[in-house]
Amino acid sequence: MLHRRHLLAMSTGALVLPSLLVPRPAHAAASVGQPAPDFTLNDTAGKPLKLSQFKGKLVVLEWNNPGCPFVRKHYEGNMQGLQKEFTGQGVVWLAINSTEDASSDYQTPPQLARWMRDKGASPSATLMDEDGQVGALYAARVTPHMYIVNAKGLLAYAGGIDSIPSARVADIDKATNFVRQGLGELLAGKPVSTPTSQAYGCSIKYKT
Amino acid sequence: MPLPQPLSPTVRRLLAGLLFAVWLPLTALAQGILGGNTTPTAPPQMVRGELLAHAPQGATPGSKVWLGLQLTHTPDWHTYWKNSGDSGLPTELQWTLPPGVTAGAIAWPTPRKFPLGTLANYGYNGTVLLPVPLTIDPSFTGTHLDVQLSAAWLACRKECIPEEGQYTLRIPVQGSTALNGAAFDAALAAAPRPQTADGSALQPEPGFLKVALVGLPAAWRGQALEFFPETTGLIEPGSPWTQAWDGERWTARVPLSPQRSDSPAQLALVVAPANPPGEGAGTAGVRLDLPVQGTWPAAAPLPAAVPDALQAALDANAARAATPPSAPGVPVSLWAALLGAFIGGLILNLMPCVFPVLAIKVLAFARHAGDKTAHRANGLAYTAGVVLSFLALGGLLLGLRAAGEQLGWGFQLQSPGVVAALAVLFTLIGLNLAGLFEFGSVLPSSVASLQAKSPTADAFLTGVLATAIASPCTAPFMGASLGLAIGLPVIQALAVFGVLGLGMALPYLAASWWPAIARALPRPGAWMVTFRQLMAFPMFATVVWLLWVLGQQSGIDGAAALLMLLVVLALLVWALGLRGKGRTVLAGLSLAGLLWLGWTVGPNVTRMQDASPGAEVATAVQGVSWQPWSPERQAALLAEGRPVFVDFTAAWCVTCQYNKRSTLADAEVLADMAAKNVALLRADWTRRDPLVTQALASLGRNGVPVYAIHKNGQPPRVLTEVLTVGEVRTAIKGL
Repeated sequence: MLHRRHLLAMSTGALVLPSLLVPRPAHAAASVGQPAPDFTLNDTAGKPLKLSQFKGKLVVLEWNNPGCPFVRKHYEGNMQGLQKEFTGQGVVWLAINSTEDASSDYQTPPQLARWMRDKGASPSATLMDEDGQVGALYAARVTPHMYIVNAKGLLAYAGGIDSIPSARVADIDKATNFVRQGLGELLAGKPVSTPTSQAYGCSIKYKT
Repeated sequence: MPLPQPLSPTVRRLLAGLLFAVWLPLTALAQGILGGNTTPTAPPQMVRGELLAHAPQGATPGSKVWLGLQLTHTPDWHTYWKNSGDSGLPTELQWTLPPGVTAGAIAWPTPRKFPLGTLANYGYNGTVLLPVPLTIDPSFTGTHLDVQLSAAWLACRKECIPEEGQYTLRIPVQGSTALNGAAFDAALAAAPRPQTADGSALQPEPGFLKVALVGLPAAWRGQALEFFPETTGLIEPGSPWTQAWDGERWTARVPLSPQRSDSPAQLALVVAPANPPGEGAGTAGVRLDLPVQGTWPAAAPLPAAVPDALQAALDANAARAATPPSAPGVPVSLWAALLGAFIGGLILNLMPCVFPVLAIKVLAFARHAGDKTAHRANGLAYTAGVVLSFLALGGLLLGLRAAGEQLGWGFQLQSPGVVAALAVLFTLIGLNLAGLFEFGSVLPSSVASLQAKSPTADAFLTGVLATAIASPCTAPFMGASLGLAIGLPVIQALAVFGVLGLGMALPYLAASWWPAIARALPRPGAWMVTFRQLMAFPMFATVVWLLWVLGQQSGIDGAAALLMLLVVLALLVWALGLRGKGRTVLAGLSLAGLLWLGWTVGPNVTRMQDASPGAEVATAVQGVSWQPWSPERQAALLAEGRPVFVDFTAAWCVTCQYNKRSTLADAEVLADMAAKNVALLRADWTRRDPLVTQALASLGRNGVPVYAIHKNGQPPRVLTEVLTVGEVRTAIKGL
């Protein structure tokens, strides 16, 4: 019996494990050094925004979800500080929320706009990505997941907000903030010294 | 292209028919080849922590003391392993210990995988104990050991809650603390077993990490495993991946993260049976710390989709083409490989590249016709020469493979030195046949007598020569047999090579034993001198071909240098055949000239020309052209939805060149290709190219020619090695 099974396995050329027969998504995710994929999303007021309209400027993409402790850690002042510091220097800051509407973390556009206002955040826009397509395009995994697109429209940074993966506010001052470092280097016309890092945070609640 | 013997259409049809007749019964076979006492101070939370101790011999210096944080998870919640996967954080333990006592690292139990949509995490649910060893220095003299632990973990379901706990514990130094022995035993038993790296390998390629592990527990064979790298941010834990077992070898192809933040030279990893039952830690796995071979690719977009079943099949093929495992192979597939090799060897005689040897051999048979004993001895000697050469080549190949050399069959002619040496040999044979010199007058008399008086040794050497020439051309099934032979244990693999040689030598052996076959050969006579001289021309044609191959490798300077050396060499052997003063002067002068040339222009012969990226090669049909192959180019074309035809070829492979100039240049074939918008890619293996070697291995082959048709969503089709117009057109129509 074993013999026959062996023959059968061989005739297919391999031991194909049935548990693996799942479709593979065929999208090319954004990678550093490559053009940042263009996208169009509505902001919390319902106005569509296109990434390519900001060509010639530095653009920060911040994946956001107010329900996540790691986002809340950085919204104790750190994220708002970054937004204020760099939008003041002409950087475009786009907060993107890819939480699916079925998730308990989901906030409607007006709710999210209010949360951002209450926190004193000042991104250039807060964008809704309920179907998760832009998140998938950038292979965003966690909140906060941070990206910088340079003036040529190339992805210059992808990764975590800083170097200490924790949910403790106390760690912020001890950490290297990769977004501040990268934006500073780009504004000074230098290459980004840390183009990728390990993003940490909560899983994005994507539509499945 | 100077083919030794262009085939007429009739012969081609005959050959194709013969191949087909052999093909049918063998397809099935060929497929087979491819056959305590703690004080929690934290509020109620999703995960409850408890500090446990295990010190059965007390806590005196040198005794074994374990501490551990036991986490009890609310159903559906989990905490994380040292690499948390796509998100999450590993559990952190911060100890406060008396002087002289130090805590080691967490002995992480084998984790589980928690998929979440397109993402995945590594960690634990249920109840898990994270054990930590304590080292107690002789300087510690207390009567009890006070431990303080500040632990922090991230508890997640879909949402996450960072939680923490502060714990204190007092362990008596004298006396036993062993209440939680069972929990510690279970946790330590669930830790992955360390295993040596022998024979296992990690190799990054664009978009993927190729994993090949040997020596895993036998009980796991055929089961799906889970792959846990200890480095974060390296792979895409939630993306589909493929794995395959080949005997005791487990191979996997794991997608790399497009935003990889680390390119380690050494990677520690854990593999364990997938989908472990129950809750808590996973089923105890195996931990390996492996060096990463090759270089990490620059972060690249993910390649086009490949169906997983196909990928698993390709993984299995690749496993077969990699280093030989030491486990016994499957007898059934061994017999299939032997049969395939035998028939492949027979067919080898019909390949154009063996023709020069046929010329020598026919001559030898004609010379010894009528002497039955000598004839039989010659047949046997020739067979021995062929078989032993195949064994030697196979052994060399296996040895080089084991040494991690990325070489494939036919590698002998990828080295310009070998090509040049063969050109010298054929020139000498040609000059000898043409009558410019006799071996007796050049070589020492002992070797001369070996040539003249011992035709048996001559026949043996002919066999060796035949193998050297024939080896680059893989006949049908030979590729598959070799692909398998490389993955077989050494002895079995060598048997495959030996049988291959036997198949090649058999026709001559038969002719030498059955007079009826030998009698069909013409009688010796004065015509033999004429015939011998005539035979010189195929030899020179072969030299021209070898020079052309060398030109592909070391450029026009190398080819010209070798030609000059050959001219002076011819002068030298001719001068040596002279008599008296003329011989001394001329031979001396030509020898000096040869040495001077060897010293000045000789290095040009073996100097590899810089590989220039090949340009597009236009064909006779408008809009159809061959482009240089690269894995990226192929992936990009497939992603566009175009079918891709790949011609794996090499300058030194005559069959390849023949196909290139006949079937692949056929107007109807090219028109069909254009109609289906097929992209034509040419993978050149004239020089050693590891990327091409890998691509061949992924198709289960390690020789050229190979013709493969790829289309997104379909398994690759590998065509036969002597292409016919009908076959290619049928394959293209099927796209």
